[in-house]
Amino acid sequence: MRLFFSGIRKLSRRPATFVTFGLLVGLLVLIVLAVGATANSTIGNANGAERGAAARELLTFPGAYERMLGFILGLGGLFAMIYGAAIAGSEWSWGTLKSAVARGESRVRYMLLSFASIGLMIAIGIVIAFAISVVAAIVAANLANISTSGLGDTATLGHLPERLLKGWVAVLEEAALGFTIATLARSQLAGIGVGIAFYFGESFASIFLPDIVKYMPFSVANAAVASGSVEVGSRGGSAIATLPPDQALVLVIVWLIGSLFVASLFSDRAEITG
Amino acid sequence: MSGTDGLALATRGLRKSYGSRRALNGLDLSVPAGVVYGFLGPNGAGKTTTMRVLTGLIHADGGTVEMLGKPFRRGDRHRLYEVGALVEAPTFYPYLSARANLRELAASGAPVSSKRIEELLDLVGLCDRARDKVQGYSMGMKQRLGIAAALLSDPKLLLLDEPANGLDPAGIVAMRDTLKALASQGKTVFVSSHLLAEVQVMADVVGIIAAGKLVREGQLRELLSMQGVVKVRVRPNLVDAAIETLAPLAPAERLTETDRDEGWLSVRVATDRAEEVNQKLAGAGIYASGLESGTDLEMLFLELTGGQGTSSSEGAFVGLGSLNGGQNGGAPAGKGTAA
Repeated sequence: MRLFFSGIRKLSRRPATFVTFGLLVGLLVLIVLAVGATANSTIGNANGAERGAAARELLTFPGAYERMLGFILGLGGLFAMIYGAAIAGSEWSWGTLKSAVARGESRVRYMLLSFASIGLMIAIGIVIAFAISVVAAIVAANLANISTSGLGDTATLGHLPERLLKGWVAVLEEAALGFTIATLARSQLAGIGVGIAFYFGESFASIFLPDIVKYMPFSVANAAVASGSVEVGSRGGSAIATLPPDQALVLVIVWLIGSLFVASLFSDRAEITG
Repeated sequence: MSGTDGLALATRGLRKSYGSRRALNGLDLSVPAGVVYGFLGPNGAGKTTTMRVLTGLIHADGGTVEMLGKPFRRGDRHRLYEVGALVEAPTFYPYLSARANLRELAASGAPVSSKRIEELLDLVGLCDRARDKVQGYSMGMKQRLGIAAALLSDPKLLLLDEPANGLDPAGIVAMRDTLKALASQGKTVFVSSHLLAEVQVMADVVGIIAAGKLVREGQLRELLSMQGVVKVRVRPNLVDAAIETLAPLAPAERLTETDRDEGWLSVRVATDRAEEVNQKLAGAGIYASGLESGTDLEMLFLELTGGQGTSSSEGAFVGLGSLNGGQNGGAPAGKGTAA
């Protein structure tokens, strides 16, 4: 547990934590407030009524809960992948893994507990980002003169913990992928670069190979948190084949465990030089 | 492993290759307990590879390591709980303070009290800057913090790779005194260094490696007693005559001019023959204006490692003398062979 708490302390002071979280929340708040501020001004334009209706739907509770969550889990997945890569890569780039190993620490334990602390930080981040996004949605709804009477919808609120938990697992899987790529690359920058390329590469490949790509890590993560409605910020489009959420969730867990297994195995066998 | 009683660290037939390049080629080290052991070798001789093997960062292809009386194999990581190490450059989280870095490092390996962290910050003189982020530290400060990190678990065996790197003269003296004090407490200090003068004043035992093999190991005093040198200064225009005069005292390869312009000659004979050297010169009408006798680890090192490290896998710094047509005959700059 010493290592786990140490990981939390390190991450809670790390600029990458605040930058990643700040970017996600900043983008989310900016978009939601922009939608709220312009929801009514589009009515007079061509297609304005349709767009205005979409904007109003986005900010209308209780559906707004789901849409805020969709945004966080969609864009948050990319950010989590970058975050995981940054943390794992720096252990190699900065040589801090080397110092721990030279003190007799188990490489596998070190890597897994580092990831566990990342997992906790992501959980906290999702909850706080969701809370902020809901507040932003309320403000935006007021700007657009939309009623927030659906805020207390008990059926929706009752499902939120389960949705947040599933979303956390999906985002965690994406973080694990970044973590593993950076571990294999032994570098922060290479890990982030390859991770981003993989993220967008998978999205691009889904156009040509939808039946294969739907089993790939980012696709299954999106499918696992899909609610059936169009998600703001997610990469999922209606034309892309996706798995049913429950099946996707199983694959998310497989990818998560598989990624961490590969990262652990590599760390255990790697020659730590430089 | 046999014959390792009383040794804090022993390697037998240690082998390690990187691809086709052989970094360690049957290295046999015997490091007695309670000494400062100077581990010397030219660039690429295998010093850092040895350090990495000893700290479990890489695994040897063959051979054995015994640490503090017990075998150290793959999977014996707990043996490192009693070992402190500074391998290559010190490594830290740049965004954390010195104190936080030591605290987080202490979370791995053997448990460490927070009191110990404060003691070490005090020892390396970083108490006043302990709250500053490491990214703002100078190289010397990072090095001091690295030494503190190596001492975290109050180790019985300390492995230090170039610990004097970046330290100012006062820091070097303090580091040397600290390491000597640790050895006097019964701890074993294994120091890899390029600073021969530093090792000469600090180490009790030295091991010299070249091309991944041990070429000499033993008590420093004994090794140096076989490596006596008498330096004599004569008028520059009399250097050749002095060499001729002293030729009967030492074979040609043991008689070198170290600085012709200043008239310095080195005669590698037992230090107690300084008087004889002076007498011989005076007998030939050459009067020395300076006479020094002592021992020289550098000469021993160069002799054992092939002077310019020709066997090194990292190449060698050839020096201006060699580039300018080999005026020094390929010998190390400033040490032209008289013969």
